[in-house]
Amino acid sequence: MNSVKKPESYDAIIIGSGMTGGWAAKELTEKGLKVLVLEAGRPIVPEQDYVEHVPVSDMKFRGLADRKERLDTQPIQRMCYACDEWAQKFFINDLENPYTTDPGRPFAWIRGRQVGGKSIMWARQSYRWSDLDFEANARDGYGSDWPIRYADIAPWYDYVEDFAGITGHTEGLSQLPDGHFLPPMEMNCAETAVKEAVARRFGRERVMTVGRAAILTQTHNGRAACHYCGPCHRGCITRSYFSSVNATLPAAEKTGRMTLRPYSVVHSLIFDAHARRVTGVRVIDGQTREALEFQGRILFLCASTLESTRILLNSATPEFSSGLANSSGQLGKNLMDHIMGGGADGEIPGFMDRMQFGNRPNGIYVPRFKNVTKQEKNFLRGYAYQGGADRASWLRGVEESGFGVSLKNSLRKHGPWRLRFYGFGECLPRPENFVEIDKDRVDAWGIPVLKIHCAFSDNEKALFEDMVIEATDMLAASGARDIRPIRENNPPGLTIHEMGTARMGGDPKNSVLNPHNQAHDVKNLFLTDGACMVSSSCVNPSLTFMAITARACDYAVSQMKKGEL
Amino acid sequence: MQRRDALRLLGKASVFSVLSTDWLAAKLGAEVAQKAPGALQTLTPAQNDIVVAMSEVIIPATDTPGGKGARVNEFIDLILTEWATDDEKAVFLEGLAEADRRTNELFGRGFAAASPKEQAAIVQGFDDDLAALRNEKIREWIPLWEVPKMAFFEQMRTLTLTGYYTSTIGQEQELKVEIIPGTFNGCALEGPEVKQ
Repeated sequence: MNSVKKPESYDAIIIGSGMTGGWAAKELTEKGLKVLVLEAGRPIVPEQDYVEHVPVSDMKFRGLADRKERLDTQPIQRMCYACDEWAQKFFINDLENPYTTDPGRPFAWIRGRQVGGKSIMWARQSYRWSDLDFEANARDGYGSDWPIRYADIAPWYDYVEDFAGITGHTEGLSQLPDGHFLPPMEMNCAETAVKEAVARRFGRERVMTVGRAAILTQTHNGRAACHYCGPCHRGCITRSYFSSVNATLPAAEKTGRMTLRPYSVVHSLIFDAHARRVTGVRVIDGQTREALEFQGRILFLCASTLESTRILLNSATPEFSSGLANSSGQLGKNLMDHIMGGGADGEIPGFMDRMQFGNRPNGIYVPRFKNVTKQEKNFLRGYAYQGGADRASWLRGVEESGFGVSLKNSLRKHGPWRLRFYGFGECLPRPENFVEIDKDRVDAWGIPVLKIHCAFSDNEKALFEDMVIEATDMLAASGARDIRPIRENNPPGLTIHEMGTARMGGDPKNSVLNPHNQAHDVKNLFLTDGACMVSSSCVNPSLTFMAITARACDYAVSQMKKGEL
Repeated sequence: MQRRDALRLLGKASVFSVLSTDWLAAKLGAEVAQKAPGALQTLTPAQNDIVVAMSEVIIPATDTPGGKGARVNEFIDLILTEWATDDEKAVFLEGLAEADRRTNELFGRGFAAASPKEQAAIVQGFDDDLAALRNEKIREWIPLWEVPKMAFFEQMRTLTLTGYYTSTIGQEQELKVEIIPGTFNGCALEGPEVKQ
C-alpha cells in the first residue's frame, strides 16, 4: 500500500454554489445527505463584502469605474450593466478565465466566481414558464421535445417560490402562469397610465404587469423586507433579495451537514468505467494550485450552463472520447441566449407634480403576446418586454447643452417621465451554436478552455425588429411624445440567460439528461443548471432552474432510498 | 434622511441586527478618510485655474456651493491622470489652451483672470458650438461600456456635471439623495424639497 491520503468522501458532491448549487445544497442536506459544495471562487462574508450602501461620492471614480484596469482585466465583464464600480469585484478576471470564439462572432460570457456565483448580481426577475414554452420545440420542430410539461414542474415552482419569496401580481394569463406571490410592488404614475392605455387599445391580448421579482415585500422566512435602496447587485445586508448567500446556503448550513469549500476549481470528474459511476472529482486548489480529489456517492453539476458542460467535455474517457455522458453526441450543442435590446422609449406627458420616492429594484413586464394564439408569418416564438418609467435625473443634463444658474436650477428638479419597453426574445435551439474544448488554450489553473461558436439567426433578428415596431406602437397608443426606438447591437451571451448544451430528453440517443436531470449514461451524475434546458422561451430562466434543481434533488434522494443509486 | 442618519436607524432596528457596529464604523471612517484633498497630478496650476473657473461657470454657487466648492477640478484631474486615454487628455488640455486664446482675443487676458461676464461669454461660445454639433449628429447606439468621442467642451461639461452631482455636496446638499429610503411610493407628491 502506498501512503496517499484517502480522499474525503461524501454522500453528494455539488459543483457550484450559485443559483442552482445553493438549492441543491439546501435540498440534499435537508433530506439528510452529507454534502460537499465545491466553489471555484472565494468565500463571501456579507458584512464585509457587500457594498450596497456606499454613496457614489465615496467611490474613487464616482461610478465611472477604473476604466484602464477594467480594459486590462475585465474587457468582457465590463459589458454587463451590473459590473459597476461597486460590484465589479463579483465578476471574474477575464485574463484568468479565457475562452475563444470565431472571428467576427463575439460571445459575451459573463461569470461570477465566488460563493453565491451570479446569484449575487442577478436581476432577480422571476417568472414561470408555461406549456407555450415546454411544447415549443414539438410544435415547430426546432430542437427536441421537452421531456416534461408545466404540470410536472408546477408543484416545484410553488415550492421554490414559497421559500425564496417572489413579489408579483396575479394576471390569470396562460402564457405566464401566476405563482405564489408576496404583495406586488407598486407601479408609478406613468406606468399606471400606460398600463391603462395599453389595456384600452389591446384588451387582454397585451397586459402590462409589475415585475415579478425575488425580492421580499414583507418579512419572509426570517429575512427582512426590501428597504428600497435600489442596487441589489451590490449585495443586500438585510438579505431581502434571493441569492444562495442570502437564503439557500444558510439553510443548508443550518443542517450541519454541508461542507462548503471555496477556492476549489474543478478540473474534471472521475468515471469508473466498470461500475458505470462517477466516483469523484479532480480539483485544483485555487490558491495553492495543489491537485486534490474528493469522493461522493452522487454528483450534482451546478457550475452554470457553460462551466458544467466544460467540465463534462474535459472529463472525456476512452469510452466517452467526446465528453463524459455524451453517447448521444449532444453535449455542447444548441447553445441559446435571449436576444435583448430592441424596443422603444418615450416621454409620458403629465404627473409633473409627482415623483417616485424610493428606488424600486424592479420594473414592469409585458408578457409575450406574439404567436400565442395565432401564428405570425415572419418569425417563430416570441418576446416579452421588461422596462419601466422614471423621471429623468441630473444625467439628462449631460445629453443637453446649457450652463449656469438656469442649468443648475433645471437639474435640481426631475425631468419629465419617460417609459421604456425593452425586449427579450426567444432564441431557437440550433446545433450550429455549440461549444467545444479549445485544445490550444488553458486557464490560469491549467484547465483547457471553451471555444464558443454562437450567433443569432434570422428568426431572432426578425423578433428583434418586431420588438422595436410594437414597442413604438404601444407608446404611441399611450399618448407618448418624443418616442425613440431602441436598437442595441448586443452580442449573444450578454443577456446572461445562456442555456442548453446538455439537454434533457426522453431518448438517450438524442439527449444527455433524462427527464429528472440524471445523465442517461452515468446514473449517479445529475446536472441541473441552465445547460439542461431544451428550449429557451423568452422568459427569464432562473426560477425554472431553481424548480428543476429542487425536483431533481427529490428524485435523486428517492432513488438512493430505493437503492437505485 | 441622509445616509448617516439612515445607517444609524438601520443599526437600531432589530431586523437589521446582522449589521455590526464595527462594520458601520469602518464604512463611515472610510468616507471621512477620502475627504483629504489630493495634490494635482496632471493639471498645471494655470490649467487648474481655468478648470476651477469654468466648472464654476457651468455649475455656479447659488444657495448651495457650485463646481468650485465641490472641487470638481480634483475629480477632473483624477480622470485625466488615471482614466482618460492619451488622446482624450490631449483634446482636453488643448481645449483649455483654446479657452485662454479665445478670452485673450476678446478681452485681452486669460480665462481664469477674466470677469464672470467675460467667462460666461466664452463658455456661451463653446456651448453654442456643442449645441450645433448635437443637432447635426444622428443619435446612434453606443454601448454602455464604451466612451463616446467628445470635443473639449463636451468633455468639460460632462465631467463638471458628473463631478458635481456625484460629490458629497451634489448628492447631499443639491440633490438631497436618500441612500436608504426604507419605502417605495410610485406616485409621491413632489415636495418643496425636490429629491432625486
